[in-house]
Amino acid sequence: MTEASTIGFAGLSHLGTIYSMAAAARSFTVLAFDERRELTKELGMRQFPIVEPGLEETAREHGGRIRYTSEAQELAGCGLVFITLDVATNESNTSDLAPLEALIEKVSASIRSDALLAIMSQVPPGFCRSLSARLPAGLQLFHQVETLIFGNAMERAIHPERLIVGCADPAGELPERYRRYLDAFDCPVLPMRYESAELCKAAINCFLVSSVTTSNTLAEICERIGADWSEIVPALRLDKRIGPHAYLSPGLGIAGGNLERDLVTVQRLAAENGCDARVVTAWQEKSRHDRDWVLRVLFGAGALARSGSVSLAVWGLAYKAGTHSTRNSPSLALLDALPAYSFRAYDPVAKIDREFPAVRQCGSALEAAEGAAALIVMTPWNEFSGISAGEVKARMSGVHIVDPYRVLDGRAFRESGFEYHCRGA
Amino acid sequence: MLVHQSTTAAGPSRVVVLGADGFLASELRRTLDGARQVHRAIGSREVDLIEASSVERLAGIVQPDDAVVITSALTPDKGRDPATLLKNLRMGENLAALLNRVQCAHVVYISSDGVYDSRLSLVSEDSPCETGDLYAIAHLVREKMLLQACQRAGIPLAILRPCAIYGAGDTHNSYGPNRFIRTALKDGKIVLFGGGEERRDHIHVRDVAGLTLLCLLHRSAGVVNAVTGRAWSFREVAGKVIAALGQPVAIQELPRSGPVTHRHYDIAALIRAFPGFAPMSLDDGLAETGGAMRAKANSV
Repeated sequence: MTEASTIGFAGLSHLGTIYSMAAAARSFTVLAFDERRELTKELGMRQFPIVEPGLEETAREHGGRIRYTSEAQELAGCGLVFITLDVATNESNTSDLAPLEALIEKVSASIRSDALLAIMSQVPPGFCRSLSARLPAGLQLFHQVETLIFGNAMERAIHPERLIVGCADPAGELPERYRRYLDAFDCPVLPMRYESAELCKAAINCFLVSSVTTSNTLAEICERIGADWSEIVPALRLDKRIGPHAYLSPGLGIAGGNLERDLVTVQRLAAENGCDARVVTAWQEKSRHDRDWVLRVLFGAGALARSGSVSLAVWGLAYKAGTHSTRNSPSLALLDALPAYSFRAYDPVAKIDREFPAVRQCGSALEAAEGAAALIVMTPWNEFSGISAGEVKARMSGVHIVDPYRVLDGRAFRESGFEYHCRGA
Repeated sequence: MLVHQSTTAAGPSRVVVLGADGFLASELRRTLDGARQVHRAIGSREVDLIEASSVERLAGIVQPDDAVVITSALTPDKGRDPATLLKNLRMGENLAALLNRVQCAHVVYISSDGVYDSRLSLVSEDSPCETGDLYAIAHLVREKMLLQACQRAGIPLAILRPCAIYGAGDTHNSYGPNRFIRTALKDGKIVLFGGGEERRDHIHVRDVAGLTLLCLLHRSAGVVNAVTGRAWSFREVAGKVIAALGQPVAIQELPRSGPVTHRHYDIAALIRAFPGFAPMSLDDGLAETGGAMRAKANSV
């Protein structure tokens, strides 16, 4: 393999760590760059600051093809360079593009003049067209849309459903160097103009949010009228218009940051262009309502009547299972909402990253349940499903089990004398 | 949402209750007494807020350490006409003038859930306020007047928006628990519009007084709905009234004049503000109210 066939990745946040490893898994020689020297050193030793199923196994098998560096100049040896810095969002779920802009400037000054540059970072519509006008002449720019799922990112990066490629002009052929890379993933490649690709990610996320929101809406109705959402779901999955992989599990609203970001982007685009996007606002409001489902259940069950003298057990801090991320996590929102209560919390990987004086983070789920008046399962980690009602009963002082995702065996808990609350029934 | 200026519950040196002769204020005074909270009740016979001279008179009463609770309003039974609207607004104008003139520690304004768009079936504090009802418009405008005055003076303002309040002592006789109890006791019947399908949240007056006290103790600022979080159809309420009274009562259905609408509340903001708040169950509230109203009827 020639030096120019080395694939470069710049920006080693979650996105870059995963995609660089996926490229290695697809037999490419990879140079992975990040300015943070400590980070590249740790990555070189296979010490990953993120949690993703399959990442360590992939690294063991294919990591030998990746070299990590903190020197941007080394990217000069790459014919194709991906920009893979995750774009952070603020409290309002809007993107801070400044670190990305700085990285692109640094990388574009370091790479060969005939290199191909592909942005994988989460950028809003208009970004690539504007960037292409500013890049050094000769550099060809593409936008490869990332559609990773936290907790399933490695699998999706190695085996994507399709690859979405934004181009200056989709009518033209993709350069051979890039085509070779894309073809290695053995899936449909969908070239489109920059703006379409940028909006495509938001479009995917809007459809996901709409499914999640619709599921939560109907699950809430189920809870009130004696229906059971879990009985309805199989019928929906067998409907070809909805499908077996649709997001039909009720939960606590949207979280994680990426979906929220895209909703804000769509709202901005609609506002700027006079389009009606009120449905997006409704999704956001519904998401806030769903986030507070646990709060309302606890209140309705009388579990909040005494603040100082009871402790509440929380299983799960991450915004979803399979990730360490707590971005917009309903679990942390619950802790925020009830500062006068003492909590015993446990999560297999996520840690509380800010001050919660009344929260004690425990080493196991059962330790967290010790003496608790109520147990709340805030993240559907698989390991919780193996815990029996008897084990919990032996430790808790109260009878309230709040299990929005139905991780536990509801029937067994009810039969053990617990008041069991779940979403959708 | 409400933000507490004081995390530990500590009452003000004195509470000035305006509108002291009203249904809610009477209960609030009892609640303040129960909490050993010093208060000064001022009714319209002492200071008529509609009159411009009320500013001068109240300025001589309100002290910088006082919390002021405003319950004063001409309720819909006094009229829903433009003249009543303007009187209610004049009260707001005079109260704003008072707050521009004297300092106080805290203001609690008892508004109404009527400020929300009546077409909404699920309401939270973030729901749009859009009403065609002149009584509710008066509350909405008064909220804005007080907010502007309090912001200018740096005074925390808590706005409570109660749903339909019931309880012994309510003279308003609006469609709902109190009227049902009254007519059940007097005429042996409860009249429903249509089948009484409309669902509404009904809060006992003591709970509203309790929430007002909590706002005072925490020097809370912001907006919160004073509701229970449970909505009942009027037919269910009628059934509960009959059960509470324990006597035969006929239910009569009259043709309804408008479409069926429902009103529920998302009470997450209320839970965040006061997680330990435990509203009285409708069954208990109706039993207590029914008992009190029956005792009063028997004593007349």
